[in-house]
Parts: sequence; structure tokens; C-alpha cells
Amino acid sequence: MDEKPIIEIHDLTKIYKGSDEPAINGISMDIFPGEIFGLLGPNGAGKTTTISILCGLFPPTKGTVRIDGMEAGTQMDEIKRIIGVVPQDIALYPSLTAWENLTFFGNMFGLRGKELKDRITEGLIVFGLEKHSRKRISSCSGGIKRRVNLIAGLLHNPKIIFLDEPTTGIDVQSRVVIIDYLKELNKKGTTIIYTSHYMDEAENLCSRVAIIDRGNIISMGNPKQLVSEHPEFNNLENIFLHLTGKELRD
Amino acid sequence: MFKFFSAVRKEFLILSRDIAGLLMLFLMPMAMLVILALVQEFGWNAISKEPQIPVVFVNEDRDSLGLMIEQGLKQSHIFRLITKIDTSTVTRELARREVSKGNYQIGVVIPAGSTKRIHRKIEVLVTQLMSRITMPIHNPFAGILSNDSINIIVYFDPAVKGTFKNTFMSSMREFSLKIESTMIFKSFNDELQRLFPQMQYGMQDYKPSVCFSEIYPSGEKEVSIPNTTQHNVPSWAIFAMFFIVIPLTGSIIKEREEGSQIRLHTLPVSYLKNFMAKVSVYLVVCVIQFILMVLAGVFILPLFGIQSLELDSHYGLLAIMTIVTSLAALGFGIMIGSIARTHQQSSAFGTGAVVILTALGGLWVPIYFMPEMMRQIAACSPLNWAHQGFLDILLRHGTFITILPAVIKLLLFFTVTMGFAGIYRKFKSPFGTR
Repeated sequence: MDEKPIIEIHDLTKIYKGSDEPAINGISMDIFPGEIFGLLGPNGAGKTTTISILCGLFPPTKGTVRIDGMEAGTQMDEIKRIIGVVPQDIALYPSLTAWENLTFFGNMFGLRGKELKDRITEGLIVFGLEKHSRKRISSCSGGIKRRVNLIAGLLHNPKIIFLDEPTTGIDVQSRVVIIDYLKELNKKGTTIIYTSHYMDEAENLCSRVAIIDRGNIISMGNPKQLVSEHPEFNNLENIFLHLTGKELRD
Repeated sequence: MFKFFSAVRKEFLILSRDIAGLLMLFLMPMAMLVILALVQEFGWNAISKEPQIPVVFVNEDRDSLGLMIEQGLKQSHIFRLITKIDTSTVTRELARREVSKGNYQIGVVIPAGSTKRIHRKIEVLVTQLMSRITMPIHNPFAGILSNDSINIIVYFDPAVKGTFKNTFMSSMREFSLKIESTMIFKSFNDELQRLFPQMQYGMQDYKPSVCFSEIYPSGEKEVSIPNTTQHNVPSWAIFAMFFIVIPLTGSIIKEREEGSQIRLHTLPVSYLKNFMAKVSVYLVVCVIQFILMVLAGVFILPLFGIQSLELDSHYGLLAIMTIVTSLAALGFGIMIGSIARTHQQSSAFGTGAVVILTALGGLWVPIYFMPEMMRQIAACSPLNWAHQGFLDILLRHGTFITILPAVIKLLLFFTVTMGFAGIYRKFKSPFGTR
């Protein structure tokens, strides 16, 4: 690709306090505008750590990250304005309603008035949540919580979206709606960085994937291209198992 | 400011959704104030108004000294004299046994012949003195002191507190000195009457010439005698206000455990804004708590026969002290909430710290009772600064200048604790990027 990367990761390393082994071990990669980039890997591979550093949740032990030309260490405030984050866990206030949660998080991105109301309404309609908008999050089902969690990260129309296992633990219907919406957003030019355990989902959604294991990138490329390069494995899941092994992970 | 107000609204909504918690925040301090004021007031009544404390009394003397001590103890309105236990008249041995068992805390035995011995001693003294006066020598008192002392036995239950024991012994010494001086005067009077029968001396009617006026100086104002409510309300109000630490730290840790904090850290907003929003909402809670406790002092305590809290139009100063005290408590809560990792840690440390700071701050035991080292430590307790500030207003009728040192110290404490929370979050927290 000739285009300038929107995310440049160089020699990124994270060693948690009290741990001997790095959670991520000097990974480097570029992600380009308009990509849906999948970070795949078994449990404890380093996917969430990578996304957390990219979102500014904590600093790396070593290495650099540039997002849309801005240095992650020094320009995080500016970076946070153009990114949307959908964490793996539900990051909402249980005692507030879906509408109140979305209003608060929208406000934090500077959205207010009619613009905010329209965006919340649109999000609720897209994800079929209109009738649940006045329910407290604590009384909503897991699927509804996940969908509201997703809307909260997308309200401000971010240029880059980080999604950490957004479809984990929800029914097929909700998964389809989420995946379709992400494709829709991507068509409008949004760059999506996404982690998942569902290989079929990643194969279907992502323009490129990186398979991470034990903090290292062990393979990277277009999913279809990866499958064609390994004709003995007929899908991404088999390639993934071949590369990461069948050993159970913590 | 828009984002700040949105965060305030969010905090308010979260707090208002927990009606039971909110009621506890408002009603518990009021209930605590009323109950503790009642306990303290009735406890004080027990030793000041109603003769509640039983004293096993054995009057072997059955003469003036024994009768006068008995009368003195009864008239003190502090003690209830027990002279019979289960229809048996109390003896020296029974008194000793009952006190040693802890059935009674104090036993007094006036030994037989005490009055006679005191009379004899005084008579010797007076006679010798009068004979020297009538036959002048250089020093009529020289060489006539007698060591024939009377030994009143007082049994104390070992569980009796030292301060109470001292109070009782002071009372006993006061009675015996009074009795002895009365006897001396009477003896002198009798002797003078015998020597000069035509004169009327009336020395037995002698009244003490030293009396005491209780004055509470406060600037140039005339000040009414401070009542226990004036002491109690600020003390318990400060104590309760600092307990805001528990729900506040709970709110911070809940945010962390529920996951919403992760999203907060990915927002283009300083986390300090979130802290300040919490401070603003909980500040209102603290102020309402204080107002309710003041109202309890003014309207509820009098219903139980306790004197009403007198505010004396110091509303402005009280508002200032309430706000700075609340800020100090909230800063402390934010600091603990930032450091603690679990609810258990925050509640255990928060409760312990507030209780220790309260004790050190002189809210339970006045600091002038404490040894020098403890007093110096007390001077570092924010609860002590707050307490002194409120006492300056309610008891000493101070001005803004009077409370200014307390105000400055409490604001500094707020700034330091908030600063510490921010620095800790930046360098220690896993989310410390902002």
C-alpha cells in the first residue's frame, strides 16, 4: 500500500509489574486508513494489552505508537478525540438507563443537544434498542448491554474504532447486527481494529489480520491470502490452530 | 464546564438511584447525633443530677463525722448510698466483698470512733493554742501539731476508671476538710465562749470567703454558658461528615470494578474532572448532612430534654466551615479511593482512619486532657482543625479572622489529598496516563 499508515506500531513491548515474561514482545505493524484489522490470538496472547496501549489505557514498557500522525505518549488527548473504544467488558453505569449512559458518554465527547439526541436515537434504532432505552443497564440482558456498550464507543463518529471482542457472549442475531453495522461504518471510511476468538467472523469481516501468540506476531496478512498460502488448511481457524497449537491456554 | 456539569449530573443520577443508601447518608448521622447526645447527656446526668452511682456505705462511727459525710454524699446528688444489701446491714467485710466481686464500684467505711478522735485532736489543738494566746509567746502554733489522723477506708472496684476514682476522692476530701474546719471553728467558738462567756462570737456560722464565678470570655461579647449541645453537635457532625469517605471511596471503586472507569480513561476528558464532579455532588451531601444535624440539635434534642443548639446568627461562618470541612473529608475520600484496590480495603482503612483521626482530633476526649506528645499529634488532625473552627464559631463567637487558620489548613488538606490522588493515579494506577 502506498498510503500513509493511520496507526504505526514500532517495537511495542509490555511487561507487567511482577511478571517475568512480556505480554507483548516488540511487535511492529502498520494499519492503514479504511482497514478492518483483526488481532487474533488465543487467551493471554497479548491482544487486549495491544489494544489497551493503543487506546492510551496504559503506557508501553518500550516502543512507540503513532496514531494519525500523533505520538501516543505525548498527544494522547488529541488521539482520544478521534478514536472510539469498545472494551471487552461492559463499560457502562449499571444504575443509569441506556439513554442516560449514552448521553453522558456523548457529552464527554463534546456532543450535546439535538445532534447528540439524533445520534443516540440512530444508534438505538440500528441496534434495535428503542424500547430498551429507558431501562437501567442493570436490568438489561447481556446482548442489550453489549449493544449499548458498542453504541457508547461510536457516538462521536470516530475515525478509528478499537473493538475488543465485541461479539463475545451474545446471540447470533446480535452478532449479525453488530458485524453488519461495522461493515457499514467501514464503508464510510472508518478504520476498525478488532479482536475476536471467532475465526469465521474475522475471515468474513477483516481486510487484514495479525495472529498473535505469546506476545509475538506469528502471521499477518489478508485472511483469504493466508488461506490460499496454506492450501492444506481450508480456513482461517485451521491455520490459527496450526500456528498457535492445540494446547489449552490460561 | 459543559463536560463537568454532565459528569455532575451523572454522579447525581447514580446517587439518587440508591434511595436506601441516600437515606442512610442523611438519617444515620442524625440518628447518631441524637443517640450519642442522649447517651452523653444522660450519662452526665447520672453523675451530675440524679443520684445514680451506688456507694456501699458503712458508718461505724455513727457520730458527727460519719453523719456529715453521709449527708454530704447524699447532697452531692451524684451518689446513692447503699447501707443494706438483701435486708442485711452492710458491714465493713460485706462492703469489701461486694466491691471485690464488682457488684458495687465503691465502698466507704467510716471507722468507729472517728468523730471522737477528730474532736480530741481539735480540742488538744484549740486548748493548747488558746492557752498560749492567753499567755503570749512568740509563736503560739509551735509544737502543737498532732499526727493522730483518722483513716477513712474507700474500696474501689479495680474496673473503676482513674478519672472517676479521682473525682470521687476529690469529693471525699472536700467533705472531710469541710467537716474538719467546721469542727475546728465550733471548738474554737466553744473554747472562746468558755473563756469569755460575755462575748458572742458566732464562729460556727462562718461561711467560706472564697467563691467562684464562671465566666466564658469571648471578645467583647457577653456569652451565655455553653451547653453540652454546643459541644456535641459540631463534634458528631464533623465525625459524620468524615464518614462520607466510605460511600465516596465505594463510588470510585465501584466505577473501577463495574468497568465504566476503563471507558472514562479513553475519553478526551481529564479524570480530575470526574473527581471534581464527585466532590461537587458529595459536597452537597455533606452540607445537607450538616444542616440536618444542626436541625436535630435545634429541634430534636430539646424534645428529649436536652438544651437546644444556639446558632446565634453565625450562619455565614458556619457555612464556610461546613464547606471547607466537607472538602477536607472529600479530598481524604478521593485519596483513599484512588489508593485502595477493593471495597474491603477502602472501608476498613477509611473507617479506621476516620476513627483514629477523630480520637486524635479531640472530638471524643478534649485535647487538653492529652499528654503533650498526643496534643502535638492532635494538632495535625484535620478533624481537630474543623472542630476548633466550629468551636470558635459556636462557643467563642469568633469572627472570620478567628476561623481563618482552620479554613486555610482544611483547604490545604483538600488540595494535598486531591494532588496526592492525582499523582498516585498517574504513576501507580494501571490507568494512569492522564
